[in-house]
Amino acid sequence: MQNRVREQRVGRGLSQAELAAALSVSRQTVISIESGRYLPSLPLAFSIARFFGLTVDTMFDPDEEAGT
Amino acid sequence: MMTSIRPRLRKPAWNALAGLLFAVAWLVRGGPLWWVSILAVIATAVRAISLYRMGAADTDEGALAGSRADERQRQLSLRSRSLACNLAAVASFVGLTAAIAVNAPWWWPFLVILAVIGFGYLLGLSTYGVAEEGQADDAGIP
Repeated sequence: MQNRVREQRVGRGLSQAELAAALSVSRQTVISIESGRYLPSLPLAFSIARFFGLTVDTMFDPDEEAGT
Repeated sequence: MMTSIRPRLRKPAWNALAGLLFAVAWLVRGGPLWWVSILAVIATAVRAISLYRMGAADTDEGALAGSRADERQRQLSLRSRSLACNLAAVASFVGLTAAIAVNAPWWWPFLVILAVIGFGYLLGLSTYGVAEEGQADDAGIP
């Protein structure tokens, strides 16, 4: 599943650690989500989308493989 | 009780408690090997201190040791424990089979371990809600 977390984070000038702190998760989890190795739970996916002011289906695209 | 202990101290505290119980068991046993209890206390202290120090590390292991894991790290821990349990079950089965094959008297601890694993699995199914979904809302609607 492709996601736009990295794109949105970089676009707002945030570090992975800052995003992790805002979402109350670890920096390692942000790295895993950005690389597509970890699919967040629904509550965390909503938290990410809300943090960036987007919808979940804008942030996460189930039709694309991660890294494509 | 868990909430009264600082998160970073939880794992070291449980580790220290288990190690102290082990040491007391050697003391109660008595005999010429009583000094093993001293080794157990030393090993427990070293382990508890290293766990406490690891709890500050900015790693997955550190988050787990410091009881501040997020959802992915909890999932990692859960999957690792599941793997460990599967390995324990396989090892117990191999031990039980080998003990039976050589007609050894030490077959029953393996059976106890297998029984505990099986009971734990059933307890997990019951505790975590298998068959709680109930009847379908649309049951009976053609």
